[in-house]
Amino acid sequence: MVTVPAIVLAGAGRATLPAFVAATVLVLLVGWCVSLFAQRLAAVGGVYTYTARGLGPVGAVVGGWSLAIGYAAVSMSALVGCALYLAALFSLPSSSVALLVLLVGGLAGWCTVRGIQLSARVALALEVVSIAVVLVVLAVLLLRLPEGLGTAAPVVDGDVRWGGVAVGVVLGVTAFMGFESAGVLGVEAQRPLIAVPRAVLWTPAVAGVLFLVGAVAQVVLLRRAPLEVLMSPVPVSALAGETGWLVRLLDVGIAASFFACVTGSVNALARVLFSMGREGVLPAAFGRVHLRRGTPVQALSLCLPLVVGVPFVALLAGAGGRSVLTGTITVSAFGYVLAYVLVCAAAPLFLRRIGELTVWPVVGGLVAAGLWLLVLVVALGGESWQGGRAMSWAYLAVLLPGAAWAAWLALRRPSRLARVGVYDEPTVASVLPGSMAA
Amino acid sequence: MAADGGLSGRQPKAVQSALAVLECVARLGAGVTAKEVAESLGMPPATVYRLLNLLVGEQYLVRLPDLSGFALGRKVAGLAGAIAPVRVPSAARAVLADLRKEVRAGVHLILYTATTLRVADMDPDLPLQDPALVERHLHATAAGKLLLAEQPEWRDLVPPAKLTRLMRATVTRPDALDACLTRVRADNWAGQAGELHEGTACLAVPVRDAEGSLIAGVAVTSSRFTVSVDYLPSAYRFVDGLVPLLT
Repeated sequence: MVTVPAIVLAGAGRATLPAFVAATVLVLLVGWCVSLFAQRLAAVGGVYTYTARGLGPVGAVVGGWSLAIGYAAVSMSALVGCALYLAALFSLPSSSVALLVLLVGGLAGWCTVRGIQLSARVALALEVVSIAVVLVVLAVLLLRLPEGLGTAAPVVDGDVRWGGVAVGVVLGVTAFMGFESAGVLGVEAQRPLIAVPRAVLWTPAVAGVLFLVGAVAQVVLLRRAPLEVLMSPVPVSALAGETGWLVRLLDVGIAASFFACVTGSVNALARVLFSMGREGVLPAAFGRVHLRRGTPVQALSLCLPLVVGVPFVALLAGAGGRSVLTGTITVSAFGYVLAYVLVCAAAPLFLRRIGELTVWPVVGGLVAAGLWLLVLVVALGGESWQGGRAMSWAYLAVLLPGAAWAAWLALRRPSRLARVGVYDEPTVASVLPGSMAA
Repeated sequence: MAADGGLSGRQPKAVQSALAVLECVARLGAGVTAKEVAESLGMPPATVYRLLNLLVGEQYLVRLPDLSGFALGRKVAGLAGAIAPVRVPSAARAVLADLRKEVRAGVHLILYTATTLRVADMDPDLPLQDPALVERHLHATAAGKLLLAEQPEWRDLVPPAKLTRLMRATVTRPDALDACLTRVRADNWAGQAGELHEGTACLAVPVRDAEGSLIAGVAVTSSRFTVSVDYLPSAYRFVDGLVPLLT
């Protein structure tokens, strides 16, 4: 809600808001496709399991891997974001950001290893507080709107390029990050077949409204701001520069919400790797849990250093905080979109397999999958966009080993793929006694 | 269910269709597919699929492991149990009479379905103050706690908002009830003191069939302020005698 508009404005110009509306509509379609699954099965693996039920194990492993890239990259970018806003809060020099990344990463790691109970509550509280703060600050700023256009106006009203628009739509996805992960908790919820579809449909709707409100406000504000503000590592904070104590509160709020995003995505990443480890797709070590706390320690201890290390090294190597943030968030959005394409395509196939196919899921699933695929391809090939092409290559380079691994397993070790997509079966206790005898 | 959905009762067609789907699954037997239900009812498939998913969500139906077959859910057993006439074999009544001679307290036989209980045989000399209350407030009675402890999720039977405070001692907090039911599962009996009526305590011992399902219970009520655990040994001894008579 905070980071994405400024990043997209730099690439999509005038088409920013339409791109965000398109992203919201497309994400709602994905939510609907996911709810088709969620009404019918409660699964630990979430989207990964759903894809397996429709497209089979290879599609699921590719989608799951892409989603894992998405989670890993978004936790990196949130880590950098948190460090950037902390540096702005304490007026630290930009050289300190790398160290802050290490510090925040360590804290987030501690939270996730302690167990999801803590992280989920912390995340919810942080999120609510920071959204409230951001809305208040944007409202205050809109009330004191300066006269005349700023130097950023030519960029904000900049020309429309298809590559930029596609990237805008793809990045719009990051505002809905993790809405599908309600599916993951399906097994723990009380009435999963009712609660999860509801959550999967309503979360993107609510998030979409907040996101669009935030984006409109920022477009209006940035049009009247100097170019330095638009291109600064912390645009919203720079916008609010004049408001005194409010800007401190804003920095705290945004840093906290980035922190919540780190713990949330690291948890989700560990869960996907854990599922794959349990099913034998990845080495069994990923499936190990902490004896006392029940958290997937092994998966966490493998992905945490990666999540902290990549941005740390990039920052040390001299990359600017904002470009690391932009780069990782782009890779993460690519990861999400491919997973969405696959799960949308899987929906009608799944319904056909269980003999409940009707017209609308076919139309909805194919339209959603097709449009997302189109957007993804255009964005991957996106020309003349700051560092966009490099990130496309980075994403493809990380995706390739996963896809190759899936193909190798399918050809050489089909037995290891057989267990992909474990879902909860009704316990004997929930079937009417006697009715199973037939 | 109606509270949040705003069901006005003005969609009679939807209710009729849902009941027709339920009936059809019951008639065609476990493992029937969505398509078969739609064909058999002559209804539009999309409608049937939506109704099936609704009924599965509300647990009147369940999906079988292959995901394409359906079967009746445990809630249907509750519906059926509420209208079935209560029959207690006379041999079982004789066993109860013996127990009544041995303990100086009210001895009652409770029969269970998967989701409901009925007071099947009340002590004629020391009757329950209000059997209807026992059947309704499951969280406040020993017999009800036995049934709740049997559920995979007690909140399906008694939504946390319906944990009515009948007496000062009534368990009304969900986490307290959770702890209480965990103890019931561990001990294999349930007790309460002063939760339903002031100064009345009760304990209930389960009667289980060969598969371990709860089919009946013996409840012992007395005018005391603490759970009368001294009746437990006799109750258990007579329960063993009831198993072959009730299964």
